[in-house]
Amino acid sequence: MLNALKFDRIRKELRGILLTLCMVAAVTAVVYLIIIETGLGHGSVVYLIPVVIAATRWGIVPAIIAAICGVLASAFFFYPPLYSFRIKDPHEVLNLMLFVFVAVVVSQLATRLKRQLEVSRQREIDLRDLYAFSRRLAVAFDVSDIHAAIEDHLATVMQRNVALFAGVRDASASSGRRAGVMVPEQVLAEVVQAASGRHVANSGVTVPADSGDVWLVRAVSPKSSEFGVIVINLGHASQESSDEMRIRVDAVLADATATLERLGVAHAIGEARMRSQTDQLREALIGSVSHELRTPLASILGAATVLSAAPALANEKKLKALVHDVRDEAERLNNDIQNLLDASRISSDGLKPHMEWADPTDIVNSAIERCRQRMSDRRVALNLPADLPLIHVDPVLVQQALVQIFDNAVKYSPSGSQITVAARARDGRMILSVSDQGAGMTAAEQIKIWDRFARGERLASTTSGSGLGLWIANAFIAANGGAINAVSEGPGLGTAMTIELPVTHAAVTQIESDADE
Amino acid sequence: MQMSEPSPIVLVVDDEIQIRRFLRTGFELNGFVVHEAGTGAEAIRSATLRPIDLVIVDLGLPDMDGSEVVERIRSWSSVPIIVLSVRSTEAQKVHLLELGADDYVVKPFGMAELLARVRVSLRRQMRAASGEPTVKVGPLTIDLAVRSVMLNDKRLTLTPKEYRLLQVLAQHAGNVVTHQHLLKEVWGSIHVHDTHYLRIFVRKLRQKIEPHPDSPKILVTELGVGYRLAQSGAEAENGAEAPAKSES
Repeated sequence: MLNALKFDRIRKELRGILLTLCMVAAVTAVVYLIIIETGLGHGSVVYLIPVVIAATRWGIVPAIIAAICGVLASAFFFYPPLYSFRIKDPHEVLNLMLFVFVAVVVSQLATRLKRQLEVSRQREIDLRDLYAFSRRLAVAFDVSDIHAAIEDHLATVMQRNVALFAGVRDASASSGRRAGVMVPEQVLAEVVQAASGRHVANSGVTVPADSGDVWLVRAVSPKSSEFGVIVINLGHASQESSDEMRIRVDAVLADATATLERLGVAHAIGEARMRSQTDQLREALIGSVSHELRTPLASILGAATVLSAAPALANEKKLKALVHDVRDEAERLNNDIQNLLDASRISSDGLKPHMEWADPTDIVNSAIERCRQRMSDRRVALNLPADLPLIHVDPVLVQQALVQIFDNAVKYSPSGSQITVAARARDGRMILSVSDQGAGMTAAEQIKIWDRFARGERLASTTSGSGLGLWIANAFIAANGGAINAVSEGPGLGTAMTIELPVTHAAVTQIESDADE
Repeated sequence: MQMSEPSPIVLVVDDEIQIRRFLRTGFELNGFVVHEAGTGAEAIRSATLRPIDLVIVDLGLPDMDGSEVVERIRSWSSVPIIVLSVRSTEAQKVHLLELGADDYVVKPFGMAELLARVRVSLRRQMRAASGEPTVKVGPLTIDLAVRSVMLNDKRLTLTPKEYRLLQVLAQHAGNVVTHQHLLKEVWGSIHVHDTHYLRIFVRKLRQKIEPHPDSPKILVTELGVGYRLAQSGAEAENGAEAPAKSES
């Protein structure tokens, strides 16, 4: 591999030299023709043309070779005695020496010019990349966006495999594969060192990997650890070219960190991290508090049901009513806690629906069963066709969403009114609808009801609840690939809630299972 | 309880003393004899030392998981076991039923609900011991000996698979039977994941046995777990005593 690289460079050099020789030959041929045609004097000065071209295109070595060949060709073709390298006239010798001197100076100037041009072109590309980088930072949404921007920027500028690790945890948790880059284990170990701030040198360290590649590991910014640690595959570089590369990495990173600092990104990252930690803390708190509350509630509720059926209380109407209050309130509290638990489940680890083939009739009936007590003074009208298709959902999540909707319907409708539950299949969707004859909603309320902690303000004084119910229902249905809608003709005109779920047609295996013995 | 029968003995396994206390009171008021255990080890010891008619196990025990208690007791005894579980853990419920638990009750629960489950399980145990061949669920009578199904004294014609399905449910009358168990018993073990077979057959069966197939009362669904023939606790006791019915 190393040899191949060297070979590549030699080949390029040879190609330059070869082309130079061709140019010299061409110039010789042209000058020769001109001299024969016109009888003009000799033209060694013309050989400056290939010298300058070679110097600007291929560097100093081909330029010198062009000069030497030019001298030799002049001596051979144009200075008497012709067709011999000997030169008779000492003036001519002086001329040629002068030519060689001019050629060397010119080729040196041209090479330097060429290098400067290259540098300024590179600078221009870098600036353009840097500009793109800062534009991307400006629209970065969160910490990972910023890290991805830094990573991509370095990959573009360096034209190498680059991976960025946000911190110690990121590096130790990583299996080594990042952004399509395989990072060897020795390098990962070094990243952990760097991320924990144990690197003294700001310019990072190089790590040779098993594959023979050399990796550079360094903190993105020596001043702020928020930007993470970057690893760059320098390839099979020799010591000097890897040093060259490191200088370049330094320059690119200096530009990048200057941009980051100018935009106050470090501060923003720190703040975002703190915010997400606060969120995590809050979710953990809700989870553990709800659990701690639920255990004693189970005792309270159980004890209350034992008391309410106790023979000693059979004739104590007032005491019995009190016990019923304890039981009902405990049940309500339990519902609220369950809602909090569901909400924290939704926002912490996300829902993992357990999909299976389910009969919509079963889901509706078991939701009604769960709400039997709450709906005892409402007339429940069922409209479930016998030929509903099966749906592939998590039936428990859909049932819990329905329970929330029933709860809502009961909460916002008068006692004795009717709640209609219907199901129908249409256009590849299963539509479950729950209509009440209750308070209805204004247009503004219809938008707001899906928010977390949203409560109907018009009726806040007469109803209770956390305002989590519909938010939970929405999340549960969304986890099943469905959607919830609420429609109301207006305040006082009742509300119709519809759940739409996809119907997959793989359910039509009826023929197969019909084969009964 | 009927005075002629001896009081059933129930072993309550829960680490919360408050839960044990209300369960003890609730059971004693209904004519049961109660033993208590606060840990899994204590429960297993207690179950080996004394004759017990029924075990109630909480899943969260300090020394071992409730499922381990179920598994250990089931390894030598066929005593009915009812598990106290929490909501949203259907997979766990299925697992417990497969380990040999007879039924579960979701915490928090009312005493009436638990008593109904307990009576169903005791009744089933008694029927199994006595070889009683008929199972009555509301208007439905299933005679397992002569393979006949009567609805309001009218004989129903079922296909062999429909009968097999009803038979498995009747053998566990009142208790929940998991999807996997039903599929294995009726269609064979290669179909244990083809829940849709079950859904379609249950629907057809309901058309025949339910007075209102769109709100079934006999063959009821336990979402995410299985089905049960809804034998109420009072019915299981042959209507002997029904003081606290459908409280919760």
